Amino acid sequence: MPFLESHLLGVIVAAPFLAALALLFVSPTRPGAIRAISLVGALVSLAGSVHVALGYDLARGGLQRAERYPLVPSLGIDLSLAVDGWSVSLLLLTGVIIVTGVLASWTLTDRPRDFFVLLLVLVAGVFGVFVCQDLFVFFLFYEIAVLPMYLLIGIWGSRGKVPAAGPFAFVWRRFDVGGREYAAMKLTLMLLVGSAAILVVILALYSAAGGSTFDLQALARARFPRELQLWAFPLLWLGFGSLAGVFPFHTWSPDGHAAAPTAVSMLHAGVLMKLGAFGVIRVGMLLLPEGASYWAPTVGGVAVINVLYGAICALTQRDLKYVIAYSSVSHMGVVMLGAATLTVDGWNGAIYQMFAHGMMTGLFFALVGLVYDRAHTRWVPSMGGFARQMPWVASFFVLAGLSSLGLPGLAGFVAEFLVFLGAWQSQHYVWALAGVLGAWVTAVYVLRVGRDIFFGEGPRSDEIHHLTDARRSEWGALWVLGACLVVFGSYPRLILDFIHVATLEYLPRAAGAASALLEASR
Amino acid sequence: MSPLYTALLCTFLPLAAALVLVLVSPLRRAGLAAGLFSVATALIAFGGAVTLLLERWSGAATPVRETVRWLPHAGLGGGAHARAVIELGVQIDGISATMLVVVTAVAACVQIFSLGYMAGEPKPDFGRYFTWQSLFLFSMNSLVVAPNLLQLFLGWELVGLVSYLLIGYWWSKPSAARAAMKAFWMTKLADMGLILALLVLFVDTGSFDWTVTTSAAGAVTLLLFFAVMGKSAQFPLHVWLPDAMEGPTPVSALLHAATMVAAGVFLVVRAFPLFEQAPTTGLVMAYVGAFTALFAAVIAVVQTDIKKVLAYSTCSQLGYMVAALGAGSQVGGFFHLTTHACFKALLFLAAGSIIHGVHSNELSHMGGLWSRMRVTSVAFLVGALALAGVPGLAGFFSKDLILEHVLERGLWAPLGALLVAAFLTAFYMGRVTLVALFGRPSAHAEHAHEGGVSLLAPLVVLAVPAAGVGWLGAKLSGLYAAPVHFHLSPVGMVATGLALAGLGLAYWMFGAPQGGGRLRAAFAPIGRLARSGAVNARFAWGYGVLGGVSSIFAWFDRYVIDGLMNGLGYATLALGARLRGLQTGRAQDYVYVLVAAMLGVGAYGAFWSR
Repeated sequence: MPFLESHLLGVIVAAPFLAALALLFVSPTRPGAIRAISLVGALVSLAGSVHVALGYDLARGGLQRAERYPLVPSLGIDLSLAVDGWSVSLLLLTGVIIVTGVLASWTLTDRPRDFFVLLLVLVAGVFGVFVCQDLFVFFLFYEIAVLPMYLLIGIWGSRGKVPAAGPFAFVWRRFDVGGREYAAMKLTLMLLVGSAAILVVILALYSAAGGSTFDLQALARARFPRELQLWAFPLLWLGFGSLAGVFPFHTWSPDGHAAAPTAVSMLHAGVLMKLGAFGVIRVGMLLLPEGASYWAPTVGGVAVINVLYGAICALTQRDLKYVIAYSSVSHMGVVMLGAATLTVDGWNGAIYQMFAHGMMTGLFFALVGLVYDRAHTRWVPSMGGFARQMPWVASFFVLAGLSSLGLPGLAGFVAEFLVFLGAWQSQHYVWALAGVLGAWVTAVYVLRVGRDIFFGEGPRSDEIHHLTDARRSEWGALWVLGACLVVFGSYPRLILDFIHVATLEYLPRAAGAASALLEASR
Repeated sequence: MSPLYTALLCTFLPLAAALVLVLVSPLRRAGLAAGLFSVATALIAFGGAVTLLLERWSGAATPVRETVRWLPHAGLGGGAHARAVIELGVQIDGISATMLVVVTAVAACVQIFSLGYMAGEPKPDFGRYFTWQSLFLFSMNSLVVAPNLLQLFLGWELVGLVSYLLIGYWWSKPSAARAAMKAFWMTKLADMGLILALLVLFVDTGSFDWTVTTSAAGAVTLLLFFAVMGKSAQFPLHVWLPDAMEGPTPVSALLHAATMVAAGVFLVVRAFPLFEQAPTTGLVMAYVGAFTALFAAVIAVVQTDIKKVLAYSTCSQLGYMVAALGAGSQVGGFFHLTTHACFKALLFLAAGSIIHGVHSNELSHMGGLWSRMRVTSVAFLVGALALAGVPGLAGFFSKDLILEHVLERGLWAPLGALLVAAFLTAFYMGRVTLVALFGRPSAHAEHAHEGGVSLLAPLVVLAVPAAGVGWLGAKLSGLYAAPVHFHLSPVGMVATGLALAGLGLAYWMFGAPQGGGRLRAAFAPIGRLARSGAVNARFAWGYGVLGGVSSIFAWFDRYVIDGLMNGLGYATLALGARLRGLQTGRAQDYVYVLVAAMLGVGAYGAFWSR
């Protein structure tokens, strides 16, 4: 099919959109058809992503499968799609997460049609960001991916217990902290403020490059003046960073992830947060190499805070979803840490961590959803001994936990190890130390929460009964994600070879700027 | 089959077994069949390991080293570093072949023993147990055949994982769940040293090999030794090992006595070329090892739980090995590892057999087993005497070798500690033997009886090397170093004398019902201290501190950082509410503002703008 072959990227992006459109013509009273259509849309994207990966020519590297559709020729805006090694790996991640996400929300009964429409639109935006080569459209897709979250959390979310205390307690009483509307509002507002910063920079870059094109390749060749780079990079870093959970703009994340329904948490922590980090690297570090190398120590320092602070905060959380949400904050710090090292190993590690953490946190949130579905509580102190009734859920939880604490043989280790290697090479020894320490704190909280939920004596609350292990469609999500962790962890080159090719091509720009900066400082 | 494929078979067959047991539910739930399946693969792996060793034994084989790239790497800058690669693979030489035989032999014995010992478990749990056993064999073998420190680290972490899973085998028991977690935390904390050592070594030399010359040898080896302290339970990171006895006894025999805890010592043996470049680290090791040997021996004296005695004894013996390596004796450390694996596995399995017969771990619940469980008792006796260092048995040779080396180096304080520890070792093993086998039978022990063949056969098999492997020392050491020729040295005679004195004292105190009352009273305070869990209290304290810090951070995040964000939102709302007051809707208000503004602008234009 030559048409499919030559428009494959377009198909990958459009499939979820089209599925969402089709859903609008299905009666909301037929959940079976709704699920089937959603699954087909997701599967088409996944299959396309796998095909792209298999067809990617590693020896040639660079951008492949370029497609270009003019949108606003007068302003130089094109819908231009292409993949490099980074996109290949992230496409695969997104494909796997959306398919498993649809499977995990198979049993959703509350307005399933609207839910799946929003979910599919969101994921189409994510696919778009990863393959798009035009800065304007990049931003467009980015917003498409972020905005449906507001409705998804606000309508299908749940609430947690957050008692009012501290110097800002009066605010707590005013806002419904921990509630789903609050979480949805907070997430959207914080991300929109970030978007505003991004938009300013995008316009500045456009005009500084001559005001004729938004093409990322062209902009990368533009060599922006140093002053512009120095003020634009931090704006991009914080703008995209707010989605990547960069401290102190991470506070939407625990509330948002905790309130979101299962599939939304999976997508959000698994893929959406990666958009932020991807944006920092793809737009920030590649277009503004001088700004990046000037600000890299700051980016890395804040990432260190993320790693340790997120892990330490996770340690004492009593609400299961908050534990996993804070762990995401911590692990996204590893991504930013790797990016800030400006070394091949660090960048490989950063992108691989996006992939590995996506799989891992997807699995985590799928499991948390299962537990919540059965126990009707997220309050860890009331659980205990669940492994009796749900042995497989317990096993997968331990598996995900082991990946998150960096056990060799699972995907998380590869990423963390590469990031630490990069940090050591860039002579930021403290970063590596902090990263290693963060992995240990992760071991403490992950094993502790696993023990509190699944092991020891029976439930500590009398209200928990009728626990059952995973069922039909839920198995699919668990096995696929679990297998990915093991396979890509024991033979990382399946993904890492793609990433490596792209890193080798892109890094010299940023690193060249770094060494020039070093020369200048001597 | 070429040595390479044999080594791959030894490593990956157990992995395949574990995967089959995970994925094929009916087999895992079939009970005995699952166990037999796992045992069969372990035996094949053992056969492979023996072939590898025999090839080396006959002197025909040269070392084998094959690697593949595991991660892509761009190299580090220019020069030799440009070819930096990240590889995994297989290395078979005298050291790894010997270790492979030790590991697979003990593992096979333990698995066979478990067939009988765990027979009362529910079928799915039984299958799970053997899944982990197979996974352990894979992890340990991949550590043993590692061609570089990176792979050694991978295997090292995996055995730590299996240790977690097996200690927590009875996960519904809160104490087991907690012990599993604690063991993992402690060893993982120590493993930070190993991962940092990898970073330092790689960035300095562009390689994970232990044969490289590095300018950072001191830092690398100290970091490595930190990890060794965790894995091989050296003071003060030993606290997890006694708790690890919450696992089934065969697990204690395999992981927490014979093989996994010895991985730390094995690491030093393998990376000896690195350690030779750092004399200071050697000194640290000698002192830490000797202190641990003495300290743990003292605690072992007063334990009342037979498994705890053996656990502290393991700490103590690992201390010997570490001290030997610190004193610069690769052969001494590794040979003691080999002999210790034999007799300690034997002791633990015999203890398991006793526990199986008596249904209790407490020494006071035993007694008089010599007449009721003859095979087990003989096996235990052989192990105890070998550990005590009775001439002719395995422990005698290796301990002698270590003491000689420590003396040669002039490390007087460690030498003294090790000699006292030798005395105490003989004493506590004498005590356990006398109380459990020859003491007055307790109510529990009245009906004790031997278990089935699967419990006794491994004991008989292991008793042979526990008694005799010492005589092979010269040949075994010749596989990887200059062969050592044993001769009874003065210090060896002193140690043997002390060991015999220890046994004699034990006989005086515990052999006759009335003997040694005053001495027992003298030991009582140490016993109270050791059993009070002072060290455990430290651990709980440390965890409490971590929890406290975490609570502060979490509160700060929730109510200050997030409070600021919410405060911003609140301020925006409040500002909006205030500004709304400006929009009064009365025309005259707007006219006032308009006129005021016009006047202001006019004044500015008239007076200030020129």
